Amino acid sequence: MENLNITGVHDVYFRPTVNLDADTGILEISGESYLEETVKFYKQILIWIENYIQEIDKPITFNFRLDYYNTTTSRSILDILDLLKLYQDKEGRVDVNWYCKEEELEYLQEDIEDLAEDSDIEINLIVL
Amino acid sequence: MDMMDNQSDALTLWDYYMLNEKTQVSYQGPFDRHILYAIGSMLKGNDVDDNKPFNKKTFSIFIELAQNVASYSAENIKINESSLGIGTLIITEHENYYKLITGNLIYNGSLDKIVDKCETINQLDRDELRRFKREQRRGPRSSHGGANIGLIQVALLSSNPLDIEVIAIDDDKSFFALTVKIDK
Repeated sequence: MENLNITGVHDVYFRPTVNLDADTGILEISGESYLEETVKFYKQILIWIENYIQEIDKPITFNFRLDYYNTTTSRSILDILDLLKLYQDKEGRVDVNWYCKEEELEYLQEDIEDLAEDSDIEINLIVL
Repeated sequence: MDMMDNQSDALTLWDYYMLNEKTQVSYQGPFDRHILYAIGSMLKGNDVDDNKPFNKKTFSIFIELAQNVASYSAENIKINESSLGIGTLIITEHENYYKLITGNLIYNGSLDKIVDKCETINQLDRDELRRFKREQRRGPRSSHGGANIGLIQVALLSSNPLDIEVIAIDDDKSFFALTVKIDK
Protein backbone atom coordinates (compact mmCIF):
# COMPACT_ATOMS: atom_id res chain seq x y z
CA MET A 1 0.00 0.00 0.00
CA GLU A 2 1.34 3.42 -0.98
CA ASN A 3 1.91 6.22 1.47
CA LEU A 4 0.02 9.47 1.03
CA ASN A 5 2.17 12.59 1.27
CA ILE A 6 0.86 16.07 0.54
CA THR A 7 3.00 19.16 0.97
CA GLY A 8 1.30 22.04 2.72
CA VAL A 9 0.82 25.33 0.92
CA HIS A 10 0.23 28.69 2.53
CA ASP A 11 -1.30 30.76 -0.24
CA VAL A 12 -4.71 32.41 -0.53
CA TYR A 13 -5.97 29.15 0.97
CA PHE A 14 -4.06 27.08 3.53
CA ARG A 15 -3.42 23.45 2.64
CA PRO A 16 -2.13 21.33 5.51
CA THR A 17 0.81 18.94 5.22
CA VAL A 18 -0.34 15.32 5.19
CA ASN A 19 1.85 12.26 5.84
CA LEU A 20 0.05 8.94 5.98
CA ASP A 21 2.61 6.16 6.37
CA ALA A 22 1.34 2.62 5.74
CA ASP A 23 4.58 1.01 7.03
CA THR A 24 4.63 2.64 10.45
CA GLY A 25 0.90 3.31 10.88
CA ILE A 26 1.76 6.88 11.84
CA LEU A 27 -0.68 9.30 10.21
CA GLU A 28 -0.17 13.04 10.54
CA ILE A 29 -1.92 16.22 9.49
CA SER A 30 -0.08 19.42 10.31
CA GLY A 31 -0.10 23.14 9.69
CA GLU A 32 -3.20 25.12 8.83
CA SER A 33 -6.38 24.04 7.08
CA TYR A 34 -8.61 26.47 5.21
CA LEU A 35 -9.38 25.14 1.76
CA GLU A 36 -11.39 25.96 -1.31
CA GLU A 37 -12.66 22.40 -1.63
CA THR A 38 -12.53 20.99 1.87
CA VAL A 39 -14.73 17.95 1.33
CA LYS A 40 -12.76 16.83 -1.73
CA PHE A 41 -9.40 17.30 -0.01
CA TYR A 42 -10.34 15.25 3.07
CA LYS A 43 -12.09 12.58 0.99
CA GLN A 44 -8.70 11.27 -0.24
CA ILE A 45 -7.52 11.00 3.38
CA LEU A 46 -10.67 9.17 4.44
CA ILE A 47 -10.35 6.73 1.52
CA TRP A 48 -6.67 6.09 2.40
CA ILE A 49 -7.58 5.32 6.03
CA GLU A 50 -10.40 2.99 4.93
CA ASN A 51 -7.95 1.11 2.69
CA TYR A 52 -5.35 0.92 5.47
CA ILE A 53 -7.92 -0.55 7.84
CA GLN A 54 -9.00 -3.14 5.25
CA GLU A 55 -5.59 -4.07 3.80
CA ILE A 56 -3.08 -3.50 6.61
CA ASP A 57 -5.23 -3.83 9.71
CA LYS A 58 -2.43 -2.74 12.08
CA PRO A 59 -2.28 -0.13 14.87
CA ILE A 60 -2.77 3.53 13.98
CA THR A 61 -1.21 6.53 15.66
CA PHE A 62 -2.95 9.63 14.39
CA ASN A 63 -1.12 12.87 15.12
CA PHE A 64 -2.91 16.15 14.59
CA ARG A 65 -0.52 19.09 14.50
CA LEU A 66 -3.00 21.63 13.18
CA ASP A 67 -2.79 25.06 14.72
CA TYR A 68 -5.48 26.64 12.61
CA TYR A 69 -8.52 25.09 10.94
CA ASN A 70 -11.79 26.70 9.90
CA THR A 71 -15.17 25.30 10.95
CA THR A 72 -15.67 23.64 7.55
CA THR A 73 -12.46 21.68 8.15
CA SER A 74 -13.61 20.73 11.66
CA ARG A 75 -16.49 18.80 10.08
CA SER A 76 -13.94 16.78 8.09
CA ILE A 77 -11.81 16.19 11.19
CA LEU A 78 -14.94 14.75 12.78
CA ASP A 79 -15.31 12.40 9.78
CA ILE A 80 -11.73 11.16 10.37
CA LEU A 81 -12.34 10.66 14.10
CA ASP A 82 -15.59 8.77 13.36
CA LEU A 83 -13.68 6.41 11.08
CA LEU A 84 -10.96 5.83 13.69
CA LYS A 85 -13.60 5.20 16.35
CA LEU A 86 -15.24 2.61 14.10
CA TYR A 87 -11.86 0.84 13.74
CA GLN A 88 -11.33 0.99 17.51
CA ASP A 89 -14.74 -0.57 18.08
CA LYS A 90 -13.73 -3.44 15.80
CA GLU A 91 -10.66 -4.18 17.95
CA GLY A 92 -8.30 -1.93 15.96
CA ARG A 93 -5.64 -0.23 18.05
CA VAL A 94 -5.87 3.53 17.65
CA ASP A 95 -4.10 6.35 19.49
CA VAL A 96 -5.02 9.93 18.69
CA ASN A 97 -2.68 12.75 19.71
CA TRP A 98 -3.11 16.46 19.23
CA TYR A 99 0.10 18.48 19.53
CA CYS A 100 -0.59 22.06 20.52
CA LYS A 101 1.71 24.96 21.34
CA GLU A 102 1.11 26.35 24.81
CA GLU A 103 0.16 29.78 23.47
CA GLU A 104 -2.47 28.20 21.18
CA LEU A 105 -4.11 26.23 24.00
CA GLU A 106 -6.63 28.90 24.98
CA TYR A 107 -7.75 29.16 21.39
CA LEU A 108 -7.83 25.42 20.49
CA GLN A 109 -8.50 23.38 23.63
CA GLU A 110 -12.29 23.68 23.82
CA ASP A 111 -12.84 22.61 20.24
CA ILE A 112 -10.44 19.66 20.57
CA GLU A 113 -12.42 18.57 23.66
CA ASP A 114 -15.66 18.97 21.72
CA LEU A 115 -14.35 16.90 18.81
CA ALA A 116 -13.30 14.14 21.25
CA GLU A 117 -16.66 14.17 23.00
CA ASP A 118 -18.60 14.21 19.76
CA SER A 119 -16.71 11.29 18.21
CA ASP A 120 -16.44 9.44 21.55
CA ILE A 121 -12.73 8.86 20.99
CA GLU A 122 -9.94 9.84 23.37
CA ILE A 123 -7.65 12.62 22.11
CA ASN A 124 -4.38 13.03 24.02
CA LEU A 125 -3.67 16.72 24.13
CA ILE A 126 0.09 17.18 24.16
CA VAL A 127 1.24 20.69 25.01
CA LEU A 128 4.49 21.68 23.33
CA MET B 1 -18.37 69.41 -12.61
CA ASP B 2 -18.28 72.81 -10.87
CA MET B 3 -16.43 73.85 -7.73
CA MET B 4 -19.36 73.20 -5.38
CA ASP B 5 -19.65 69.59 -6.44
CA ASN B 6 -15.96 69.06 -5.85
CA GLN B 7 -16.20 70.58 -2.42
CA SER B 8 -19.20 68.59 -1.35
CA ASP B 9 -17.61 65.34 -2.51
CA ALA B 10 -14.46 66.11 -0.57
CA LEU B 11 -16.44 66.99 2.51
CA THR B 12 -18.36 63.72 2.40
CA LEU B 13 -15.20 61.66 2.32
CA TRP B 14 -13.64 63.75 5.09
CA ASP B 15 -16.75 63.25 7.26
CA TYR B 16 -16.52 59.58 6.63
CA TYR B 17 -12.81 59.55 7.47
CA MET B 18 -13.42 61.41 10.73
CA LEU B 19 -16.22 59.08 11.71
CA ASN B 20 -13.87 56.16 11.31
CA GLU B 21 -10.65 57.56 12.71
CA LYS B 22 -9.86 54.31 14.48
CA THR B 23 -10.70 52.15 11.53
CA GLN B 24 -8.18 49.42 10.84
CA VAL B 25 -9.94 48.01 7.80
CA SER B 26 -12.80 49.33 5.73
CA TYR B 27 -13.70 47.40 2.61
CA GLN B 28 -16.68 47.19 0.32
CA GLY B 29 -16.83 45.00 -2.74
CA PRO B 30 -16.57 41.38 -3.82
CA PHE B 31 -15.29 39.05 -1.09
CA ASP B 32 -12.54 37.80 -3.35
CA ARG B 33 -10.03 35.32 -1.91
CA HIS B 34 -7.03 37.52 -2.76
CA ILE B 35 -8.48 40.50 -0.94
CA LEU B 36 -9.49 38.34 2.02
CA TYR B 37 -6.00 36.85 2.08
CA ALA B 38 -4.44 40.33 2.26
CA ILE B 39 -6.74 41.44 5.09
CA GLY B 40 -6.35 38.11 6.89
CA SER B 41 -2.55 38.28 6.72
CA MET B 42 -2.65 41.70 8.26
CA LEU B 43 -4.88 40.49 11.10
CA LYS B 44 -2.69 37.48 11.78
CA GLY B 45 0.60 39.25 11.54
CA ASN B 46 0.14 42.78 12.79
CA ASP B 47 1.09 44.11 16.17
CA VAL B 48 -2.41 44.81 17.43
CA ASP B 49 -1.55 42.70 20.45
CA ASP B 50 1.49 40.74 21.52
CA ASN B 51 -0.79 37.97 22.68
CA LYS B 52 -0.76 35.64 19.69
CA PRO B 53 -3.99 33.69 20.35
CA PHE B 54 -5.81 37.00 20.28
CA ASN B 55 -4.69 37.57 16.72
CA LYS B 56 -5.61 34.06 15.76
CA LYS B 57 -9.04 34.59 17.32
CA THR B 58 -9.54 37.75 15.30
CA PHE B 59 -8.36 35.97 12.19
CA SER B 60 -10.67 33.00 12.78
CA ILE B 61 -13.67 35.23 13.38
CA PHE B 62 -12.83 37.20 10.26
CA ILE B 63 -12.59 34.04 8.12
CA GLU B 64 -15.93 32.63 9.33
CA LEU B 65 -17.80 35.91 8.79
CA ALA B 66 -16.13 36.62 5.44
CA GLN B 67 -16.99 33.13 4.18
CA ASN B 68 -20.62 33.75 5.10
CA VAL B 69 -20.68 36.95 3.05
CA ALA B 70 -18.87 35.31 0.11
CA SER B 71 -21.32 32.37 0.10
CA TYR B 72 -24.63 33.91 1.14
CA SER B 73 -24.72 37.53 -0.02
CA ALA B 74 -27.71 38.24 -2.26
CA GLU B 75 -25.52 40.54 -4.32
CA ASN B 76 -23.00 38.77 -6.52
CA ILE B 77 -20.41 39.36 -9.17
CA LYS B 78 -19.06 36.78 -11.60
CA ILE B 79 -15.26 36.67 -11.80
CA ASN B 80 -13.57 33.88 -13.76
CA GLU B 81 -16.61 31.59 -13.76
CA SER B 82 -17.05 31.75 -10.00
CA SER B 83 -19.72 33.79 -8.28
CA LEU B 84 -18.53 36.01 -5.43
CA GLY B 85 -20.69 37.61 -2.77
CA ILE B 86 -20.46 41.36 -2.36
CA GLY B 87 -20.45 42.94 1.06
CA THR B 88 -18.90 45.35 3.50
CA LEU B 89 -16.27 44.71 6.15
CA ILE B 90 -15.18 47.16 8.83
CA ILE B 91 -12.74 46.56 11.68
CA THR B 92 -12.37 49.30 14.29
CA GLU B 93 -10.28 49.62 17.40
CA HIS B 94 -11.71 50.82 20.71
CA GLU B 95 -10.24 51.20 24.16
CA ASN B 96 -10.91 47.69 25.42
CA TYR B 97 -11.98 45.81 22.33
CA TYR B 98 -11.92 45.49 18.57
CA LYS B 99 -15.12 45.51 16.58
CA LEU B 100 -15.56 43.46 13.42
CA ILE B 101 -18.60 44.27 11.29
CA THR B 102 -19.82 42.60 8.13
CA GLY B 103 -22.83 43.67 6.10
CA ASN B 104 -24.47 42.30 3.00
CA LEU B 105 -27.76 42.02 1.18
CA ILE B 106 -29.68 38.87 1.98
CA TYR B 107 -32.77 37.32 0.40
CA ASN B 108 -35.79 37.69 2.66
CA GLY B 109 -36.38 33.95 2.31
CA SER B 110 -33.17 33.26 4.24
CA LEU B 111 -33.52 36.10 6.72
CA ASP B 112 -35.61 34.40 9.43
CA LYS B 113 -33.26 31.44 9.57
CA ILE B 114 -30.14 33.51 10.19
CA VAL B 115 -31.84 35.93 12.61
CA ASP B 116 -33.28 32.98 14.58
CA LYS B 117 -29.85 31.38 14.71
CA CYS B 118 -28.22 34.54 16.04
CA GLU B 119 -30.96 34.99 18.64
CA THR B 120 -30.63 31.37 19.75
CA ILE B 121 -26.85 31.76 20.05
CA ASN B 122 -27.24 34.93 22.16
CA GLN B 123 -29.56 33.15 24.61
CA LEU B 124 -27.20 30.26 25.35
CA ASP B 125 -24.48 30.11 27.99
CA ARG B 126 -21.04 28.76 27.10
CA ASP B 127 -21.76 25.08 27.84
CA GLU B 128 -25.07 25.21 25.96
CA LEU B 129 -23.33 26.91 23.07
CA ARG B 130 -20.73 24.14 22.88
CA ARG B 131 -23.50 21.53 22.93
CA PHE B 132 -25.35 23.41 20.17
CA LYS B 133 -22.12 23.50 18.13
CA ARG B 134 -21.66 19.74 18.51
CA GLU B 135 -25.27 19.03 17.46
CA GLN B 136 -25.03 21.28 14.41
CA ARG B 137 -21.60 19.97 13.34
CA ARG B 138 -22.93 16.42 13.55
CA GLY B 139 -25.76 17.30 11.14
CA PRO B 140 -25.63 17.43 7.34
CA ARG B 141 -23.29 19.92 5.66
CA SER B 142 -24.61 23.16 4.18
CA SER B 143 -25.08 23.61 0.42
CA HIS B 144 -21.56 25.10 0.35
CA GLY B 145 -20.03 22.16 2.24
CA GLY B 146 -19.89 24.13 5.48
CA ALA B 147 -20.43 22.77 8.97
CA ASN B 148 -23.21 25.24 9.91
CA ILE B 149 -21.28 26.28 13.01
CA GLY B 150 -19.47 29.42 11.81
CA LEU B 151 -21.62 31.83 13.83
CA ILE B 152 -21.55 29.60 16.92
CA GLN B 153 -17.77 29.46 16.76
CA VAL B 154 -17.64 33.25 16.33
CA ALA B 155 -19.72 33.67 19.51
CA LEU B 156 -17.53 31.16 21.39
CA LEU B 157 -14.28 32.79 20.26
CA SER B 158 -15.38 36.35 20.96
CA SER B 159 -17.23 35.50 24.22
CA ASN B 160 -19.64 38.27 23.27
CA PRO B 161 -23.16 38.32 21.79
CA LEU B 162 -23.74 38.65 18.05
CA ASP B 163 -25.15 42.10 17.47
CA ILE B 164 -27.40 42.09 14.41
CA GLU B 165 -29.09 44.79 12.41
CA VAL B 166 -31.66 44.21 9.68
CA ILE B 167 -32.86 46.89 7.29
CA ALA B 168 -35.73 46.02 4.93
CA ILE B 169 -34.89 46.98 1.35
CA ASP B 170 -37.76 45.60 -0.74
CA ASP B 171 -40.00 42.53 -1.08
CA ASP B 172 -37.04 40.47 -2.14
CA LYS B 173 -34.05 41.57 -0.09
CA SER B 174 -32.88 43.08 3.19
CA PHE B 175 -29.57 44.40 4.43
CA PHE B 176 -28.06 42.27 7.18
CA ALA B 177 -25.23 43.55 9.37
CA LEU B 178 -23.43 41.60 12.06
CA THR B 179 -21.17 43.17 14.67
CA VAL B 180 -18.84 41.19 16.91
CA LYS B 181 -16.81 42.64 19.77
CA ILE B 182 -13.47 41.02 20.47
CA ASP B 183 -12.11 41.95 23.89
CA LYS B 184 -8.48 43.08 24.05
